[in-house]
Amino acid sequence: MLQKFFYQEKGLFLQSLHPAVSVTFTAVLLVQTVIFTHPLYLAGILVVTFLAIWEAGGLAAWEGYMKVALWMAALVTAINPLVNHSGNTVLWEGPDLPLSGRPIFTVEAISYGAAMGVRLLDMVSVFCLFNLIVHPDCFFSLFSTFARKSALAVSLATRLLPVMFAAMQNIREAQQLRGVDFSKGTLRERAAKNASLINILLVSSLEDSLQLAEAMHARAFGSGPRSRYRRDVFRPRDGICLAGSIFSLGATIFGLARGVGSYTYFPELSSLFNSGASLPALAAVLGGLALPALLSWGCNHCHYLKWKT
Amino acid sequence: MPLFEVENLTYYYPETEQPALRNVNIAIEEGEFLLVAGGSGSGKSSLARALAGLIPGFYGGRIGGTVRYKKRDIQSINRRDLAGEIGIVFQDPEKQLVMTGVEAEVAFGLENTGLPQPEMFRRVAEVMSFLGITSLKTEFTAALSGGQKQKLALASVLAMQPQALILDEPASQLDPSAAEDLFNLLKKLNEEMHLTIILVEQRLDRCFHLADRVVVMEHGEILREGPPGEIAAWEVKKGLPFVPPVAALFAHTGSPVIPLTVKEGRRLLKKSTWSGSKEKAAAAVRQEHAGPSPGKEPVFEVKDLWFAYPNGREALRGINLSAGPGEFLAVLGENAAGKTTLLKHLAGLLKPNRGKVTIMGRDTRQATPQQMARTVGYLSQNPNDYLFQDTVAEELHFTLNNLGLPDEGRVDRLLKKLGLDRCRQTNPRDLSSGERQRAALASVMVAGPRLLLLDEPTRGLDYGLKAGLGNLLREIAESGTTVLLVTHDVEFAAEYACRVVMLFDGRIASDGPKHAVLGNSMFYAPQISKLFRGIDSGVLTFREAVEKMRHSSIQNVFAKKSR
Repeated sequence: MLQKFFYQEKGLFLQSLHPAVSVTFTAVLLVQTVIFTHPLYLAGILVVTFLAIWEAGGLAAWEGYMKVALWMAALVTAINPLVNHSGNTVLWEGPDLPLSGRPIFTVEAISYGAAMGVRLLDMVSVFCLFNLIVHPDCFFSLFSTFARKSALAVSLATRLLPVMFAAMQNIREAQQLRGVDFSKGTLRERAAKNASLINILLVSSLEDSLQLAEAMHARAFGSGPRSRYRRDVFRPRDGICLAGSIFSLGATIFGLARGVGSYTYFPELSSLFNSGASLPALAAVLGGLALPALLSWGCNHCHYLKWKT
Repeated sequence: MPLFEVENLTYYYPETEQPALRNVNIAIEEGEFLLVAGGSGSGKSSLARALAGLIPGFYGGRIGGTVRYKKRDIQSINRRDLAGEIGIVFQDPEKQLVMTGVEAEVAFGLENTGLPQPEMFRRVAEVMSFLGITSLKTEFTAALSGGQKQKLALASVLAMQPQALILDEPASQLDPSAAEDLFNLLKKLNEEMHLTIILVEQRLDRCFHLADRVVVMEHGEILREGPPGEIAAWEVKKGLPFVPPVAALFAHTGSPVIPLTVKEGRRLLKKSTWSGSKEKAAAAVRQEHAGPSPGKEPVFEVKDLWFAYPNGREALRGINLSAGPGEFLAVLGENAAGKTTLLKHLAGLLKPNRGKVTIMGRDTRQATPQQMARTVGYLSQNPNDYLFQDTVAEELHFTLNNLGLPDEGRVDRLLKKLGLDRCRQTNPRDLSSGERQRAALASVMVAGPRLLLLDEPTRGLDYGLKAGLGNLLREIAESGTTVLLVTHDVEFAAEYACRVVMLFDGRIASDGPKHAVLGNSMFYAPQISKLFRGIDSGVLTFREAVEKMRHSSIQNVFAKKSR
């Protein structure tokens, strides 16, 4: 059931990218999501991420993420005007209430809340995309160059987490058939029942970890400096996508330095296009980001392009 | 020149009084295929670890004597060099895989030894191609089957290009065909690559004949070593069980030639004047009790059961099955055939998508697992899932208290029956593997269930412990409890169950008396049945074969020949 949320090898174009390129691409998306406040940029990033997810065959996973994220975004949009009374364009002013005072709803606060909601959707979508296109081993391998032990520890934890969840489920089932009802009893009783599950899991995990350590020891782990196995090749497609990401990041920095890309919500909403460079900058930022998805689409429809990249 | 030389090796694990190995002396030649047999706690695994240099290096403890590899003390060899010379594959593949992906797992050991990238790439490519797992290179290790995981564990060791390969019960988690594949692969490695193989194994029927030499261990000592045929004859004479059924049978009948394979055994049988009759066998099959007892209400009834997991995989497709009180059923089938899913439906842990499962007339959809607990006992694959109290007796009281049942001497009686009365105040985690399993079984049986479900109960048990468990389950069935077990152990099912159900791809491929099902099966037949196929189809177990041979002229023929 949860498999769709995680990396599954499907032989797709975006999965074939060098991990350094995939990580750069998603990192640029994330950075832009955090630093842009302009609603068009935030919406554009959502569209570009959606296209990449589509090309990664991850619509089902994205829908799953969105089921939760949309509620959260709606909550952010709704709560912001309740607590933020700034803005000159008042839509509605309520009666004076005890403790909370007079509720004031402004167009600016609602817009700001909506933009933050879109930012949340952006972040969740980028996370979804990362899970779909970056193989965990490749990701950790990338970092193993300078943080070997930490990368291995995280890799091990990634592998063992689902194993431990499965073990926990088995222990729970065994306990249920010995008459343990985890939903009944006082809070203390339920805590005690769940604590016994953790107890069994920890004892068994300790025993298992000894066997794993022995297997690693037998394969010379810790016997000296390690080398790094690289299975990824850098192809023209990687160069193009990396160039796109760097170009987009450059355009972002250039735009922000020129005041393009930021947006003023308070006290009044500023214009969506505050200078002549606004539209070209937006096109440059999103165009660079859209390259991987466009190239993927192109390769799926044109064998020549596929061979050449 | 011997590759390994072990002299007067005695070893104590840390904080233990009894030695795991006592004065062991053995030399292993280069290119030899050595099989190490023996019961649980006999020192087989400790010997394997000593040969791999893990004892005392990894474990600590006290050691006496020496282990030499290529004339050098194994403890003086650099660990990195040693890993490139001697590879070891352990019992449970799940507990030796480190990385998330298949290709990274194969490369893990190579990275540890600091090999350059081109060399690593060549070795990874070669070994994956040799073992036929190239198509899995981008898979996650968690998504592999048991057989694939064990093959991957083997690949990750072979990638280091060792000269000696040590395997500690590598087939214990595998279904019969996957186990057969693995053993054939080992033979190929031995014959074509000249790899020295040291195999520690309990399932001897599929590997005994592959060995050049067999070593039998007991209480940390080597009892005897020699060629397989000689060891088989000696073991039967001594009453030891570590011998394949075919060899044991011929040795028992006094045959001067001890066959190690079905092929050799059949050749011998055909040469002799066999007078068994197919009619008698058919009659025996007819007499067998297969379905629910007439007039008695079935203990469980499964009607048109369909079940798919949330990921869409259909695990069960139109299952119909029922059993009466006191029946002893074994469910066989390949990995992922739906065996455990069926078991979980009978335990009420899973609910049907379509169809119906009733236990003692109660629909499992209307009951929680806790409500089923008084009627159904369920022992999962891992007995450790059950053991967390301070003493064995407390484990049993835990079940009774949860179900609101009085003790009334149940705990004492059950502990005595299972041979655990002397361990009642022992922490269950301090027990041996066989005792742990019995303690887990006791914690389930204490509620007096009408239906006992067991998932792979013979995993990791030696012949003696298996016989003990089989007899116990038979007693439980005779007392009126219906017993259903899921197993890969065809020999165990043939020996103890009355009825066998074969699952294939979520459907019942065959269901009936064990003679009818196993006797007609090509791949899921026990060794004795394969021996008598086409000669006498009513013979399935060792006892039946001895009985048949006693009534035929074959024993006399062998007796005359040996004179």
